[in-house]
Amino acid sequence: MLIPLERLIDGCLQTLREEVLPEVASRAVRGRVWAVLDVLHNLRDRIEEKREPAEIEARSAEEALLRLAEVLRAVPNPQAGAGILRALAEAPEGPPAARASALRAVLAGVIAARPEGLTEAERDALRAHLAAQAVRDLALLKPSLLAEISKG
Amino acid sequence: MDPLELETNLARFLSERLGAKVEVHDLERNTEGFSQETFSFDAELPDETRRYVVKREPAAGLLEPYDLEPEFRVLHGLSGADVLSPRTPWFSDDPRVLERPFYVMERLPGEVPLPTAGASGSGPFTPAEREALAGQVAAALARLHVVDWQKRGFEFLGAPSLGRGAAERELARWEERIARAGFPAPPLLADALAWLRRSLPDAGEITLVHGDFRLGNWLVEQRGDGATLLGVLDWEMVHLGDPLEDLAWCSSELWRAGTPWAGALLPPEDFHSVYARASDRAVDAERMAFYRVLSVVKMIAIMLTGIRAFRDGRTSDLRMAIFDHQLPFLFALLALSRGWLTGG
Repeated sequence: MLIPLERLIDGCLQTLREEVLPEVASRAVRGRVWAVLDVLHNLRDRIEEKREPAEIEARSAEEALLRLAEVLRAVPNPQAGAGILRALAEAPEGPPAARASALRAVLAGVIAARPEGLTEAERDALRAHLAAQAVRDLALLKPSLLAEISKG
Repeated sequence: MDPLELETNLARFLSERLGAKVEVHDLERNTEGFSQETFSFDAELPDETRRYVVKREPAAGLLEPYDLEPEFRVLHGLSGADVLSPRTPWFSDDPRVLERPFYVMERLPGEVPLPTAGASGSGPFTPAEREALAGQVAAALARLHVVDWQKRGFEFLGAPSLGRGAAERELARWEERIARAGFPAPPLLADALAWLRRSLPDAGEITLVHGDFRLGNWLVEQRGDGATLLGVLDWEMVHLGDPLEDLAWCSSELWRAGTPWAGALLPPEDFHSVYARASDRAVDAERMAFYRVLSVVKMIAIMLTGIRAFRDGRTSDLRMAIFDHQLPFLFALLALSRGWLTGG
């Protein structure tokens, strides 16, 4: 997630207070909206993102990077392989979100540093992780309400 | 500025331009557009009522930094051309009128079918509507691509050079937006960008490119046993470039409304053939492959821009925040199109 949870909740609070409440005529429903505001306001400083998805991503990324370092050691590019191992060692051990983010950056850096493209062996080393991560991220999505958001 | 003030200022603005007393009624903020602010209203003149739409620059949003004027100049210059664009008579950047720059266009008839998946998975059109619309949509796109942009004075949009110029410029445009959003590129995006940089295709022609020609920006009359394309909206990404960029965007998985069909109309290859016949232009596979991936990268750039604006508090529009959890869909598309992931 690129937006901190606190900012998301602040956005919900602001929308309810400034855009929804003024349009609600029923006193009973206004009371309910105030209750939602009260709950969200108190929730704001007590929540954090789940650790498990980040832990899984970090483990999977680490395995992929180790595979890639192995591939690079076997070809005439041992420095690149050593660089990956060094970056892995320098990545923070935790919290999980920070480690996952650091390893994501290492992976992106390895790819971006090869403008001519990765070899098939290098792609194979990363494929399982990138494919599984894309699917894991998708699996967390709830059914989209985009139609309702667009139609009002 | 409250709605009453908006109505009063718009009425004064229109009275000055039309040379008659105008009253503005039924001003309503439209919900469909996620970028510019769109209001529709009725303008009551002494002897008739006209229907208009106002597009106003948002304070912050998906395509910032905003500059409404080029879009207005194109729409104004296209008035009367056979491209289904709304007639767009007036632009103003006088902050006393609506606080931010805006233009006024005539309201076209029809409804906007949305590019969202229906419960049945069949998309927004009946089979008869799809059959009727596919040819009209392809023909409208082909007509747009034969507009004589030099004759109409659109050089101000900046023509890229022939060859790799168009692809290079579009890639640079969206890479720059991604960089400006300031989030680290995840691996799948880094891979797509690297591939795009080494795969720039040649284009042998430069045409007007709508930039957002797709389901969700078409005004359609749907009749069940047929349909008519009545208008093409949202020209804010108009530019000069490779016409196949529009075809790839229009055919992209982004706008299939849960169907396997380009624009929820036809299988992509069939739609490309219809366009090829309508435009008398070959649909080059290499260019289409490039613009297919660029379409997803462009959408990611747009979403990252909105996420940044929301995260930094420059907009309180929660619709920008929903992109944060929609990005995985786009990364999955990149994974599919770049061969990291197989399947549908």
